Amino acid sequence: MVTTELNDRMSDQDVVPVTVLTGYLGAGKTTLLNRILTHEHGKKVAVIVNEFGEIGIDNQLVVDTDEEIFEMNNGCICCTVRGDLIRIIGKLMRRRDKFDHLVIETTGLADPAPVIQTFFMDDDMQSKTALDAVVTVVDSKHIWQHWDSDEAQEQIAFADVILLNKTDLVEAAQLDELEQRIRSMNVLAKIYRTRDAQVEMAALLGVSAFDLNRALELDPHFLEDSQHGHHHEHEHDETVKSVAIVEPGAVDGAKLNQWMSQLLQTQGPDIFRMKGILHMAGEEQRFVFQGVHMLFDGRPDRPWKADETRRNELVFIGRNLNEDQLKEEFRACLA
Amino acid sequence: MPRVKASETFTALWQQQLSDYVTAIVWLPADSPFPNHSLLAASAAGEITVFAAEGSQVHPIELQAPTDASIDALALAHTGQFVAAGGQSGEVKIWRLQAQPELIATLENAPAWVDRLVWHPAQNLLAFSLGRYVQVWDADTNQVVATLHFENSTVLDITWDPAGDRLAVSGYQGIKVWSIADWDADPTWVEIPSASQLIAWSPDGKYIASGNIDRTISVIEWENPGLPWVMQGFSGKIRQVSWSDTALKQGAPLLATSSSQSIVVWERHPDETIGWEGKVLGQHDDTVEAMQFQPGTSLLATAGADGWVVLWQKLNRIGQMLQGAPGGFSQLAWHPKAQQFAAGGQRGELIVWKQTSRGQGFG
Repeated sequence: MVTTELNDRMSDQDVVPVTVLTGYLGAGKTTLLNRILTHEHGKKVAVIVNEFGEIGIDNQLVVDTDEEIFEMNNGCICCTVRGDLIRIIGKLMRRRDKFDHLVIETTGLADPAPVIQTFFMDDDMQSKTALDAVVTVVDSKHIWQHWDSDEAQEQIAFADVILLNKTDLVEAAQLDELEQRIRSMNVLAKIYRTRDAQVEMAALLGVSAFDLNRALELDPHFLEDSQHGHHHEHEHDETVKSVAIVEPGAVDGAKLNQWMSQLLQTQGPDIFRMKGILHMAGEEQRFVFQGVHMLFDGRPDRPWKADETRRNELVFIGRNLNEDQLKEEFRACLA
Repeated sequence: MPRVKASETFTALWQQQLSDYVTAIVWLPADSPFPNHSLLAASAAGEITVFAAEGSQVHPIELQAPTDASIDALALAHTGQFVAAGGQSGEVKIWRLQAQPELIATLENAPAWVDRLVWHPAQNLLAFSLGRYVQVWDADTNQVVATLHFENSTVLDITWDPAGDRLAVSGYQGIKVWSIADWDADPTWVEIPSASQLIAWSPDGKYIASGNIDRTISVIEWENPGLPWVMQGFSGKIRQVSWSDTALKQGAPLLATSSSQSIVVWERHPDETIGWEGKVLGQHDDTVEAMQFQPGTSLLATAGADGWVVLWQKLNRIGQMLQGAPGGFSQLAWHPKAQQFAAGGQRGELIVWKQTSRGQGFG
């Protein structure tokens, strides 16, 4: 497990927010990118793209790159990074006054994890940029043909914002079914239904999804389902899903630490993202955390309010998650 | 940082301004058509300027006005006759340096970002990065004489061996070393189990130092490349690997390395099992952005994002601290012969310091 402080300079004016744009081939990423570049949002946006020439706009700040995955010696999945981003962003940041926001477009078949991990692992990216959000564009009609693809599932699992695009091509009932399915995979993401990737810029840029100071926002319906035991029939599930744990009681820090270390060591590769707010025994402040695979970032947050119910809320998004076991192991961490 | 102990010996001689972050500084040789202490500098805004300097009198001569595409690499051929520049635009431009510099070639490589270029130590051969390839271009014939395929990744660094017999190219998983005698022959492969981001061949030709992406440094003995020494335990990204040009008692030059704010100087140890012994110097308050040993001595100058240039006397204490770039320094280059060095700043500052009295312990 690697402990990092992803957002320790979040408030720093010099830090450039970064949006990672993912989506299967043909989902509408380029349409969205063109929209971001032409929209009058008063921001100077620099873009790193994988397929040069697709963008129909002449822009000094469009940089082309070939995705280059660098793995470290030790084979740890969290140490898999994008070598090209380290090289290019390091150079772009020398003129950080030239742009206010950076968008990184990934290829349709990309696993988003190495991009996100690069922001945790590289010194310059950690100190000079802040990951704002992972935005995934989904082709509402054709996604049904791609559920077998690991990449399509992972792009949804890692997302903070999901656009269900091309809504004009599908029936309302099918769209509802799709949204429900995606919600079960990723309970944390904000989901928008779009046509031609039309969405408010405020929903895309400046989301601060990786900022620990932002409250954990869960879909209340999902939580209800989860608490009433309406979870899926398979205990071991190959498909990506979300597990939410809501528990009263105070957490024993040492026990939690031990459990978390062991969990990330054994299941890190299957846990894509996690987030949580914890009530630590003997602490007046909330403890907030997030994780990407084996990377873990946590710290005390604001004090609990007098009228607030002190409880623990955790969300895991991953593959092969055993919901009952996770809940049981978490309960064993209570003081 | 610790306070200055020694008497001040370097004083600012002149200061000029570029329009943005200084990305390269190159001193011109004595027989160039410009005065003896002239230099070239480039910026992230794309300008390239000759600063013709006599004493504190400076006359800027623009080779290229700002283009908005950064210049990332700037290098002078061994004779000082040609200067080459590469950067974000993908163009490699070569000028003949004369009283009125003349652009003699422009090699177009867009959309590749040409961020490394190095001249052969004794011939007019220029090697530059081009995505996953390195091209070697001959200034005498205006021809590309070799296109070398690194394959594993984009080329991250390039260095000639000091004799000019070989060209080393680094990237993901290691270093490939081609022989100039036969560009078509398979390169020697030196494996590095992550990615080699920075390489430097020692001036005696015996060692290649590699700064790696997993926060390790490898030192490869060229005669025995299979078993490199590996230094680890650094607190951050390896930013610099820089050799002194003078051999010490053990017959090897010193190697200075930096990661985050800290600087380590490595000395070859007589005991093979120890290999290299590191001495941690004091720290900057922010990232060390550039460092170089003074030619012919073991006086190390480092430039930091904290806005300080530090001269490390006798490798253990601070000889002098200088400032002049409130937004932090980015570059530093010693004059090859004279007692002067130049440092560039992140907001375009360009400052030359000159030794005004020979300080004890230098050289």
